[in-house]
Amino acid sequence: MKILRHKLEIRFVHWVTALSILVLFFTGFGQMPVYKRYFVDQIPGLEWSSNYLITLNLHYYAAMILMFISFFYMLYIFLTKETAILPKKGDFKETLIIFASLLGLAKEPDNDKYLAEQRLAFAVTALSIAALIITGVIKVLKNLPATNIPLSLSFWATQVHNFFTVILLFSILAHLLAFLIKDNRPLLPSMFTGHISLDYARRRHSLWFNRIEKQYGASALTDDNKKGSAA
Amino acid sequence: MSMSRRNFIKRAAYSGLAATAVLSRVDKAAASLNSTEEYASIIDLSKCDGCSNLDTPLCVASCRTKNQANYPQPEQPIGDYWPQTKHEDWSDKQGLVNRLTPYNWTYVQHLEVEHEGRLVKVSVPRRCLHCDNPPCSSLCPFGVNEKMPEGPVVINPNGCFGGAKCRDVCPWNIPQRQAGVGLYKEVAPKYAGGGVMYKCDMCYDLIQKGKEPACVSACPNGALSFGPKKDMQTYARNWAQENDGYLYGDAENGGTSTFYLSVIPFEAIHQAILEQEVDGKPGKPGMPVGAVNVLDEPAGIAEGFVIAPVAGLLAAGLSVYRTMKGAEINEDPEA
Repeated sequence: MKILRHKLEIRFVHWVTALSILVLFFTGFGQMPVYKRYFVDQIPGLEWSSNYLITLNLHYYAAMILMFISFFYMLYIFLTKETAILPKKGDFKETLIIFASLLGLAKEPDNDKYLAEQRLAFAVTALSIAALIITGVIKVLKNLPATNIPLSLSFWATQVHNFFTVILLFSILAHLLAFLIKDNRPLLPSMFTGHISLDYARRRHSLWFNRIEKQYGASALTDDNKKGSAA
Repeated sequence: MSMSRRNFIKRAAYSGLAATAVLSRVDKAAASLNSTEEYASIIDLSKCDGCSNLDTPLCVASCRTKNQANYPQPEQPIGDYWPQTKHEDWSDKQGLVNRLTPYNWTYVQHLEVEHEGRLVKVSVPRRCLHCDNPPCSSLCPFGVNEKMPEGPVVINPNGCFGGAKCRDVCPWNIPQRQAGVGLYKEVAPKYAGGGVMYKCDMCYDLIQKGKEPACVSACPNGALSFGPKKDMQTYARNWAQENDGYLYGDAENGGTSTFYLSVIPFEAIHQAILEQEVDGKPGKPGMPVGAVNVLDEPAGIAEGFVIAPVAGLLAAGLSVYRTMKGAEINEDPEA
């Protein structure tokens, strides 16, 4: 039996964000003269990678898509009050306990829909994306003809843009490396189908599970045939 | 500043007949000059003979003398740009005066151009044109290439990593690279960076002192002149009209601070450069007429950065509205 963890809207946000960031990383690194030097443009299908104009245009388009989805998600959270992913007080301490539990030094705390560590990771990722969008817009303005962005502003925008690129890269690596931990893997299908196993939710996300059970009754969780149900 | 500007105008006024003609107009505008006045130069090909009696044209010689202290001094041996098996080293060719190199920021192209059925000798002084919207500056990954309010486009040799992107995005591939010098040597010289890029800086230090660039002062024929940009531009446009001539640099790459004047079409000059000058190595630029700024295309789609967030907000509003309208009671509110 399964339980709905990610609505279609959330899966849409996740994958559009992921794909646009993938393109942004590749084309962004292409703004430095590396793909020609390191023969990346010799790889069949990637001949365009050392052409700054092509990678810059692609970077712009992917950035527009990222901005679209970021603003979509911001308003979505605001309107639906689906705030389970946002960090809460005490998350930092709880994250340390979760890490200790991975090493067998502590017992994993009862988790809500997301682990404290996931909520913190979300905050770091979201803040990085916000910083990248703001500094990116300054860089776009700088590239427009007949705009007068002071060099000091565009210089710092560039440094901050590069810094948060590295932070975002690490946060995405950590996000992917989380699947090295066996107990996280049952969550993987939910980003495709939306559902995770009911038993897993009961065991690992007991606070979330109990709340839904209390709110909608046990039948909502066990009747697998109800259309659009949580079960 | 006003004092030195007056000196500059005075000096410039003596620098040649053509310059005098132009600058007499400039003198009238002198009262309105301020410290952020934008400057430009005129290169009149009808007056340039390439100093054919000399080994080195005087504009080139004066540039080399003036910039001697700015030339790179690499430490040997210089490593390759791994994994490539090459690096750009001009330090053993410092005497070259017939192309742009890190040690030679201007040169004169000697051409034979077919015009109205006969071959005409044409000499074309070449250097950075100092664009109005320089892609080399906008796209510098390190933000160390600056378009100054006075007009010059200046590379900071202390911050340059030598990736040569500026050369790739310049329609004339002007900046030239010397390996074995600069910031990259302090970081990971084998794997990233390639030296420092060098090019004409319009003698920015002289301009700040109210003086004109060295090449302009050195020209014996008055083929080069220098002054406030709007005056130079007006003169150049009028000249082209009155002489049934051609103007280069006014429209190219979205506008520059250099106006070439010629009675021979620049298409023919460009063709002659390709046939007689270009040798496949950097530093011998052509003169493509109507050269397009690489940043025009990205600028054309930039309005998408306004549309995208608005569209995102609208889509979210619509999506939530539809969900709420058809909401089912047993749906997980947190899913």
